[in-house]
This record gives sequence, structure tokens and C-alpha cells, in this order.
Amino acid sequence: MSHPAERYLDGLGLAPQEFQRATWSAWAEGESGLIHAPTGTGKTLAVWGGPLADGLERPPRGLAWLWITPLRALAVDTARSLDAPLEALGADWRVGLRTGDTSTSARRKLREAPPPALVTTPESLSLMLSYADADRRLGRLRGVIVDEWHELLGNKRGVLLELALSRLLALNPGLQVWGLSATLGNLDEAMEALLGPGRRGRLIAGDLRRDIDVETLLPPTVERFPQSGRTGLVQLPGVIRAIERAGSTLLFTNTRSQAELWFRAIESVAPFAGEVALHHGSIDRKSRLRAEAGLRDGSLRCVVATSSLDLGVDFSPVDQVIQVGSPKGIARLMQRAGRSGHRPGQRAKLLCVPTHALEILEIAAAREKMAAGEVEARPPPEGCLDVIAQHLVTVALGSGFREAAMREEIADTRVGRALRPEQWQWLLDFVTRGGPALKAYPDFRRVEIDPDGVYRVAHRRIARMHRMSVGTITADASLQVRFKHGARLGHIEERFLTRLKPGETFIFAGRALKLERIRDMTAYVRASNSNKASVPRWAGGRLPLSTLLADSLLDLLQRYERGEALPADAAAVAPLLAEQSRRSALPGPDRLVVERIASREGAHLYLFPFAGRLAHEGLAALLAWRIGQRTPRTFSLTVNDYGVELVSQQPVPLDLPSLRDLLSPDHLLADTLAALNASEMARHRFRDIARIAGLVFQGYPGRQKGARQVHASSGLMFDVLSEHDPANPLLDQSRREVLEAELEFSRLEACLNALAGREAIITEPGRLTPLAFPLWADRLRGQLSSEQWEDRLERMLARIDREPTRKSA
Amino acid sequence: MRIELAGQALQLLPEGAVWWPEQDALLVADLHLGKDQVFRRHGMAVPASVLDGELKRLDQLLAAHPARELIVLGDLVHAPPEPGEDWPDVIAKWRGDHAGLAMGVVLGNHDRSLAAQLRAWDMSDLGECCERGGLALVHATDLDRPRPGLSGHLHPVARLRAGPERLRLPVFARRDQHLILPAFGRFTGGHDLGGDPTWQCLAAAGHRVVALG
Repeated sequence: MSHPAERYLDGLGLAPQEFQRATWSAWAEGESGLIHAPTGTGKTLAVWGGPLADGLERPPRGLAWLWITPLRALAVDTARSLDAPLEALGADWRVGLRTGDTSTSARRKLREAPPPALVTTPESLSLMLSYADADRRLGRLRGVIVDEWHELLGNKRGVLLELALSRLLALNPGLQVWGLSATLGNLDEAMEALLGPGRRGRLIAGDLRRDIDVETLLPPTVERFPQSGRTGLVQLPGVIRAIERAGSTLLFTNTRSQAELWFRAIESVAPFAGEVALHHGSIDRKSRLRAEAGLRDGSLRCVVATSSLDLGVDFSPVDQVIQVGSPKGIARLMQRAGRSGHRPGQRAKLLCVPTHALEILEIAAAREKMAAGEVEARPPPEGCLDVIAQHLVTVALGSGFREAAMREEIADTRVGRALRPEQWQWLLDFVTRGGPALKAYPDFRRVEIDPDGVYRVAHRRIARMHRMSVGTITADASLQVRFKHGARLGHIEERFLTRLKPGETFIFAGRALKLERIRDMTAYVRASNSNKASVPRWAGGRLPLSTLLADSLLDLLQRYERGEALPADAAAVAPLLAEQSRRSALPGPDRLVVERIASREGAHLYLFPFAGRLAHEGLAALLAWRIGQRTPRTFSLTVNDYGVELVSQQPVPLDLPSLRDLLSPDHLLADTLAALNASEMARHRFRDIARIAGLVFQGYPGRQKGARQVHASSGLMFDVLSEHDPANPLLDQSRREVLEAELEFSRLEACLNALAGREAIITEPGRLTPLAFPLWADRLRGQLSSEQWEDRLERMLARIDREPTRKSA
Repeated sequence: MRIELAGQALQLLPEGAVWWPEQDALLVADLHLGKDQVFRRHGMAVPASVLDGELKRLDQLLAAHPARELIVLGDLVHAPPEPGEDWPDVIAKWRGDHAGLAMGVVLGNHDRSLAAQLRAWDMSDLGECCERGGLALVHATDLDRPRPGLSGHLHPVARLRAGPERLRLPVFARRDQHLILPAFGRFTGGHDLGGDPTWQCLAAAGHRVVALG
């Protein structure tokens, strides 16, 4: 007899794919594993086939399967797509739903009469573990499916889920765990984190040969002196023509401010103005849903979006995807391309719109890596004592735990596998009496050890507070934006809005808005006709160039230098590369280029390691500090994805040996900590750790502390612990996390190690080179008002083209 | 740093306190003693040595200045003690070590129903407002129309930022003839006054007080 999932596909006139059959039989044999494939290739039915067949054969009583999804907004769509085969096959049950949006009464119903399968989030699963009957209710689970595992793997939500899964596996060692993931550079790690280091699982590859056409929309002219930070709007006519040619278009930008600008631009010139919508993470959910529906039913021609549309199950494919700006990584390029042409056999189409000349190269480099099947890794976070502490309190609050058994459970997870005995002891001390010193925390209460040696939470107030704090997501400080008597438009970060004065105009949700006043975490606005509006800059919008893509880019430069043919679009950049090569030298996989020039502003030093913006921030600070150790100097520092600029009044004496010293990987951590005011940065970072570990409390629903207040109290907590409990390992964790998050410290380390083995060339080009130019321009923009900046830019450009070149090695 | 308010010379100390030579008085605001205890009761691990730290810093101030009186501009405590807690005894013992010193408390919003406790600590209750040498001492001033005098309550700080670096400093805030003291307690939050041009910020930075902006 054929598999029920096959019968379901048959009813739709489709045949099962090989990887779907493989998953069904692996499931039937009781195996666990990980399926990786691009979006829209039938992963859902592959993994859901197991429970479908099992459910028909052995009708479940009580909760048997959990489906974990990273976004609660996806939960409804997911439940619908899981119900479809149940309905078609005549099963007498449907999938239930439990997320942060689920009402109290609905939750009670779910507890009284649990459905056989439940769609939920990592946080809701943690919450389920915090109830006293967790063992009984969750101990009979047959399987857990984790959707979009790649979205969770690289962050603390993944760690929280890892720990929850280890609890479920301890309750029922026969539990089957399956993950669904996009293609990743570290699938083995992804599997290890999902199942725990001690378990083996099946790795199943979906249909990977889905063809993606990546085209570049070349600008009318390619400048020899590129400027980063441009909007790319000069390409608007070409983009409009492309939108007109296709039935439906998704236009992705890298930042929300860019999305706002592009939406306004398209809307103001396109003949199809009424058929464009805007979609990004700050926009009110209803408007976002309207945009998605509009694209689905054909009433919209184009939706301008950010990563807010990178996820989503039931998102119907569009005819074409346009990416404005470099995708900065191969995974992101594939993810976005996957939003077009879902039908089997259909090619996905992606049109890339470079915003400056070097992005043409980035796009070509990304396309080559994608064709070679290479994609970035998402390393799971290490350490995470904060998340483990939270998990311990959760389990103490639920069924309670004994020390030895719990120690084993934690050691069985990827995050806990290397936990040292003194760290474990600290965790137990931390949750039971605040810290290791016996008298340091009088009257502290959280977890208590009962006479039988079981760790439990005895106090109802602590229980209530903990349940409200479960999870690892810290809300950003954002204010709601709404009209005085009307619609909500969405959320904007507090930092941006509090800088505006009432009466000033800004662009948001595709409109020009005048700020009326701010009250009770709400910004009241009215429509404005002003053209002098500012666009909010949202934090965290700009991802650094991925290492994989940067390496591919350096390869392209080397091939150009060796006289090999470049891909057609990249050839447009050849004049720029020739200029760089003529004035100075081209960087490559084996060559670091350092440039020195003097100007009226002072002495400029440029380095081009191609290690991404964040690692360059660390590098710039490190270099300035190391130089300053020998001869005190004040520097102005600027970075981009390709390199760094240091400007000082007096030139830095530099030869190859002293350059090697400055770039030495020795004492890197100590020097970096000294170079930056790292403790102040760590204090900032401590917010998340303090909240996750339960050192600060976000407040009861309805009277929640503003994110700003939580931030303030966590900063205080950081100060108090630094002074009175300096050995607290959470402080050390925040120092490590801040270096990683803000400077990609491990990448900086890898970069310096690599540079030690590379040839270095110091040139004195006399004037700015094509690679140095964008750094120079970025710094000026930070210093001067925009008009002055434009003027000086033009003057400078004129001068560069006139003057001669010097070169030395 | 020396300033003059309504004809009175005052010295702003980097510890976040004010020395008033004419009155032989030290002024501090917003100690929020016992706040660590409140946090621990709620399951948040704040070390008890926070209290010892605050008292030690007061000791150092008193040793450096020949004060006859210590005046607290409100919010001496964070919350009244609960039965069974021993931090009030720690304060009582500290008070015993300074028996010759007069100590007065302007009542702040956190000092409600503290009268009996103040008597037990041998501290005088100065009410919500009192006057010395022509200056009004209050806990919270009207920020739009400050009277000549001194206050606390606001916990003023200034945030500075340069590149990826950030700095947060407690400040004295001055406007006309009024001065707001920073919170003396370390375990207290702050209100950023950095962007408000109507108040002049004098930062308590390390070993000196510097005017910002």
C-alpha cells in the first residue's frame, strides 16, 4: 500500500520526490534527522508524512507531535498547511495552535483536551515545561519537528530550544526529532545542536538543483570612484521597466530606511503607483498582511520589503525578485531568490541592482559561490550560562529536578557539552542562593532544594515572574506610531523618535509624517507635505559582507589581475580595477594592500583586508591603540566592508616589519579590550544576559517596564556585580558576547592570522584610489552637513583626476 | 568645583555630594538604601555588600570634610524595611559610629511612613522642604521653575558616545540658582539630561567635576 502522503500528493496530481520518500521511510524506522532544502521544495510534506502515516495507523490519544516554528506570525499558516493533508485523507483530527498570541481560555482548552499535534514556538515550549504536570503531558510525545531551524540555530532562541529538547528526550528517549533547514555551511553542527552530541541522525538533502538566474542591472555609467551608502535610486528607471515586464515583483532592500526611500520613489513616478505596497518589520502587522494578500491575489504589482519577508510558509511565489544593493551573503541571496517561481521545473529569477560599482563585483562573486553550491555557516552560540540558568529555573518550576540527572541532561546538549564542573556549580548556586558566597545574598529566593533533594520553585511570586520572563528575546525600545484619531502605522525605535522635535517631519510606512507629540510610548503624527523629511535609521539593518563572499570577491580580483576573463557584468568594473592597480595595487587572497597618502586633512592610512565592516571596526580601534602605544596620536577612524581608514595629523612611520607588528595576532584579546572601552560596551550588552538569566524583570503584563527601564536596571546590575561580585561569570559572558556581536571578534582573529601569512604591499599613491575613496567619503559625510559634503566631493573628484601617481613597494 | 547659588558658596565633590562650608554640612541625595534587599526578595541576585559599599563611601566623605551635619535630600531608603530584615541594624550600627554628627533627612517619595524608623536611627525628620541660609532644600523640584536651592530625585546622568564607545556619567544639573544632585546610591537608575540645553551638566568624573558642553 502506498504511503498516505503519497496518496495525498496523488490527489493533487503530483508525484513524491526522492527525498520525501527517504524521509518517510526514515521516520517509519524511528529515526531522527535534519532535512535541508531551499524554500518551497516540499520539505513540509516530507517531514509531516511520518506523523500522517503514524497517526492513521496508531490513532494518538493526547499530545503526540509538536511542530516548532520560529515566528508566531507563521503559526497560523503552518497549522493550515498541516491540516490540508489531514482533511484530504479523512483523518478525524486537526492541528492545534499555542503561541504567545493564544488566549488564556484557549490555552486552558488545549491543556484539558490536547490535540494530537500542536504548532508552537520555542518560548511556548519552555513555558509548557514550567507547569507541574509537564512530565505527564509531554512525556508521551512521539515526535518534535523544528521548522526553519537555520533561523534559530545561530542565536539564543536555538539554545533555549536545544535545552527544552534535551528535557523531552530525557522524558522519552525514543522521541523522534526532525529539523527543517535551508542550506547551511555547517549542517553537521546544525544536526548536533538539534539532537545533542550523543545522538546520530539522518541528514537528508532536498532538491538542491533548483536553478536560479541571477542578473545584474548595470547602471548607465560605472564610476571609477564608487561611493558606498548610496540608495541606488539612479537605477530607478531600469527597475520600473523590470517591474512592468513581470506580473508580480518583490523588491528587497537591505535596510528599512532604504525600503522607505525606494517605496516613495517608485510610488511617485511609476504608472502603476496604486499597485505598490511597503513591507518591513516596523510596519503595523495588518498593513503587512494586506501587502502579502495583495501580492497573492494579484491586486499588487510590487511589494517593497526587507528581511521581514525572508520567512513565511504560505507566501505565494512571485514572477520576479529584485534585490537592491549587494545581498552581502550567499545564503541571503538564495533565500530571496527562492521567493520567485516555486513551481517545480520553473527557474527562480533574481535581478540585482548594485548601488555602487564594487557591488557589481559582489553580486558576481555571490553568483559564482551559489553556483558552486557553497553557502555560509551559522555557528551556534557557545557558553550561554544565562540561557542554561533560565532553563534550570523553568524545570525547577515544572516537574523539579535532581542534580545528577539534570547534569547529565545538560551535558547531553551541544551548549552544555563543554560545561566545566565549576560552571555547573556556579549555575546551581546562582539559582538557589544568588551566588557562590554563602552570605553574599541574604534572603535571596528563587529555586529551593526540598528535603528529598529535588530542586523546586516554592514561591508563587517567583513562579509568576519567571513564567512572564521565559524566552531570550529582548524587546527593542520602540514607540508605536499612530495618527491622533486613527490608524496605527507601526513601530520605530525610541532612539530615532526622541531625537526629533515636535513639528519635524520624517518618512515612515511610505508617508511623510509630522511629529505632533510623544506620550505613553506612543508617537502621535499627522500627514505632512514637507519635502524636507528625514528617514529613520534602524539599528542592525546592515549585515557585514560574509567571509565566504569576501573571499570570493578577492578571488575575482586575483583573476582580473592574472588577465583571466571576468563574468560579463563584472567586466563593467574593469576600468575601476585598472585604476586601482595603476595607482596602487589590487588586493587578493594572498595580498594585503596598505595605502598612505597625505592631504590637507592630515595623514591617511588605508588597509584593505576585506574582513567585513564589523571586524574592521575592531581592527581600526586595535591599530589606533597599538600605534598610540609607541607614539601618542589621535586618529579619526572609518570602516567599510573592504577596509579601514585612519587619519592623524602627523604621519605614522610605517615599514613592512612595523606593519607586521601592528597586525600581529599576539595578545589580540587583551589589546582589543584595552583599545575599546570594552566594559562600557559590555554594560550595554548586559541587558539581554541580565534579562535571560533573571537578574532583571520586565514587569507584569499591562504595566511592563519600558525597554529603556530594563536597560537602565541591567546597566545598574552590571555596575553592582562588577563592584561586588566581579567573578560572576555572566560578566565575562557579556564581555565575550559584545566582542563577538559588535566586532565579529573571532573573524578579526582569523583575519589577522591569515594576514600573517600574506604578502603585504605599502603604496603611496599620492591621491585617493578607487578603494580608498568610499572610506574617505563616508568619513566626510559623518563630519559635514550634506551640502558641504557634496561640494567638497566634487572638488576632490576633480583634483584626483588631474594629479599624477607615485608608487612604491 | 566651586559654584555659588544665591550668594552661598558650595563645593561640588566628585563623589556626587556637596560640601557647604558656611553650614559645615555635607549634602547627598537619593541613597536608596535597602534596594538590594527588595531585589533579592523578588529572586534577583543583588549582592548585600551594596549597602556596606554605600556606607563606606559616606565614611570616606565624612573623613575628608569636617562636617557637623549630614543632610540627605530625600530617598534615604528604597522601601521601608520588612520584619525580619537585618539591614536596618547595619545602618543603626553605622549611625552609632558617627554619634557626634547631626543627620537630617528631607523626605522623598521613597521615604513614606519612615518617621519611626528615622527616630530609631537618630536622624531628624526635616519634612518635605526646609530652608538653610536662603536656599530651599527639597527632594523634587519643579523642573520648569526651579527655586533657588538644592534637590535630588531626578538622578541626572549624561550619556556620551563616540564611535562604538559609550560612557554614562552621573551629573550635577544646574539651572539659574538651582542645583540637582546626582544620586549618591550606586544602585540607582539615571535620567539622561545630556540633550537638555536648559540644564547645565557638571559631571562627576573620576577625581574631578567637569562642566560638559
